[in-house]
Amino acid sequence: MNAITNFQESEERIALRHAVADFVKGYGPEYYLEKARAKQNTEELWSAAGKLGYLGVNVAEEYGGGGGGIGDLAAVLEELAAGGCPQLMMVVSPAICATIIGRFGTDEQKSDWLPGFADGTFSMAFGITEPDAGSNSHKLRTIAKKDGDDYLLTGQKVFISCVDAADAVLIVGRMSDEATGKLRPALFAVPTDAPGFTATRIEMDMVMADSQFQLFLDDVRLPKKALIGEGSAALAALFAGLNPERIMAASLAIGSARLALDKAVEYANNRKVWDVPIGTHQALAHPLAERKIEMELAKLMTQKAAALYDAGDDMGAGEAANMAKYAAAEMNVKTVESAVQTLGGNGLTVEYGLGAMLASSRLARIAPISREMVLNFVSEHTLGLPKSY
Amino acid sequence: MNIVVLVKQVPDTYSERKLSDADSTLDRDSADAVLDEINEKAVEQALQIKEAGEGEVTVVCVGPDRATDAIRKALSMGADKAVHVCDDALHGSDVLATAKVIAAAIGKGDAPDLVLAGNEATDGGGGAIPAILSELLGLPQLTHAREVSIEGQTVKATRETDEGLTYLEANLPAIVSVAEKINEPRYPSFKGIMAAKKKPVDTFTVADLGVDAGEVGLGNAWSAVTEAAPKPPRAAGQKAEDEGDGGTKIAEYLVTQKLI
Repeated sequence: MNAITNFQESEERIALRHAVADFVKGYGPEYYLEKARAKQNTEELWSAAGKLGYLGVNVAEEYGGGGGGIGDLAAVLEELAAGGCPQLMMVVSPAICATIIGRFGTDEQKSDWLPGFADGTFSMAFGITEPDAGSNSHKLRTIAKKDGDDYLLTGQKVFISCVDAADAVLIVGRMSDEATGKLRPALFAVPTDAPGFTATRIEMDMVMADSQFQLFLDDVRLPKKALIGEGSAALAALFAGLNPERIMAASLAIGSARLALDKAVEYANNRKVWDVPIGTHQALAHPLAERKIEMELAKLMTQKAAALYDAGDDMGAGEAANMAKYAAAEMNVKTVESAVQTLGGNGLTVEYGLGAMLASSRLARIAPISREMVLNFVSEHTLGLPKSY
Repeated sequence: MNIVVLVKQVPDTYSERKLSDADSTLDRDSADAVLDEINEKAVEQALQIKEAGEGEVTVVCVGPDRATDAIRKALSMGADKAVHVCDDALHGSDVLATAKVIAAAIGKGDAPDLVLAGNEATDGGGGAIPAILSELLGLPQLTHAREVSIEGQTVKATRETDEGLTYLEANLPAIVSVAEKINEPRYPSFKGIMAAKKKPVDTFTVADLGVDAGEVGLGNAWSAVTEAAPKPPRAAGQKAEDEGDGGTKIAEYLVTQKLI
């Protein structure tokens, strides 16, 4: 029995990684940080990557995509992040929204939107989190009402990424079930220019080119076509998007950590004190070696989660994606920490770009789901411990 | 239009490159192997010509097994098919033998209208292959091209030298060797990467090509590399503290170097 036969990525996946790594060299961390500090998006990179099909590798070929999986998309994001240009929009637009629409959209929705996801010309942010409900889909207070053939959507959202660069936001709200009258989750594609929709930037103390927003929806009128996944399918559609989100968050964290570790290793090899490179000293070398081990472990779990997801095993992917996100986030925080310490004072200079990663490296610990919620999941579902909340 | 592009796998110029101690040939294990950048530009040019009209782009590569990676890269950029000459007997071949093998490999397919090559590879740097090939195939050659266009049965090229620009043309079929400034090669798209695996690659040995094994390889080379030494590290620069007179100090330095 060869239950697990292959720990190598396919030739095509490796070629994709090389192509994206070469591509992002044309931009680099300097480009990204300059944009981030000027509070601008990295739209040139997005558009060029879109034309090359890198942003739509997971979209079905019949809609102009690459016909690959989340594992391919995750490889693209990891390479972009490792090249200093993390793209938060990839986590929401192609990974969550294109997946949900590809799996649960009507033919009309798919042919309207997927070609744009495939080449990056159409982007959709994802809005679930609310000030009171967090990301608990059963407590959301964004409510849709039927109005003739239309829907009217009202509520508010917080910490929604990349809304300024998005054509629409996939809003998770609730709507009353026609049979039972009970509220249950419903997904709506809301154009960012819809009347009654406003987005306010939340000032963040992170050096990131992607921004966070608070959303207000005030009787936003939406056509029937805006509803994605009829009736009870909405919950399944929502969950279909959440595993890719975690896999992508893990990949972004792994890519960022690779960048930090690369900088630390280069510095430790070149910086000489008392005639030897500082990397000669185990006090500096061992933490970097530990981070490398943790990175490979996190990457392996992320690849497992992506492989399970791409093989259609949503349940199996759920646990692996949670564990991968947790491991990658913790590893990224520690790697940036170790890298800064390796560089000493230079670790905090603008020139080396590591200081800028100190805050942003915490992001994956908090979003899309906090480390505590992952630990709750593993406690309850994996270990069978009592539910804590 | 049948376009042939010569491609070579070389050690990455960003990694440490060495010759083997045993026979002063390239130590292929010492560095990452990549498609030579000048060849990427030749492929890009071929694709641009194809896209402006019609045609087929075939890449021809002489190299060991792992040169398939370089071939795959060219195919993922958009070339249609490939010819790979792979034979241990070729190890250490000089430019004459290599050009003979390439000429024979090109002869295996339909007669080309245009052969594109890089000026010179970043590893050997002989820069002689396109010229020898032009002699062997009896085709005109336009060298150091920084612009290439096809007009009917004519190929036009712009050559840049230190003195200025030279405008060249030749009747097709012809060989054009391209220079650094010709273009910015495209990155392989995801579709290109996925399609590359399905594209035909014909692999030949020296015997398949009808080339005499006694004409190739290190033992039959007309020239030999006798020794190689790394460039001495650059001397440390001269540092000047800026005490409000930095500009003056730089100007004074440039004057001593007769640069201004």
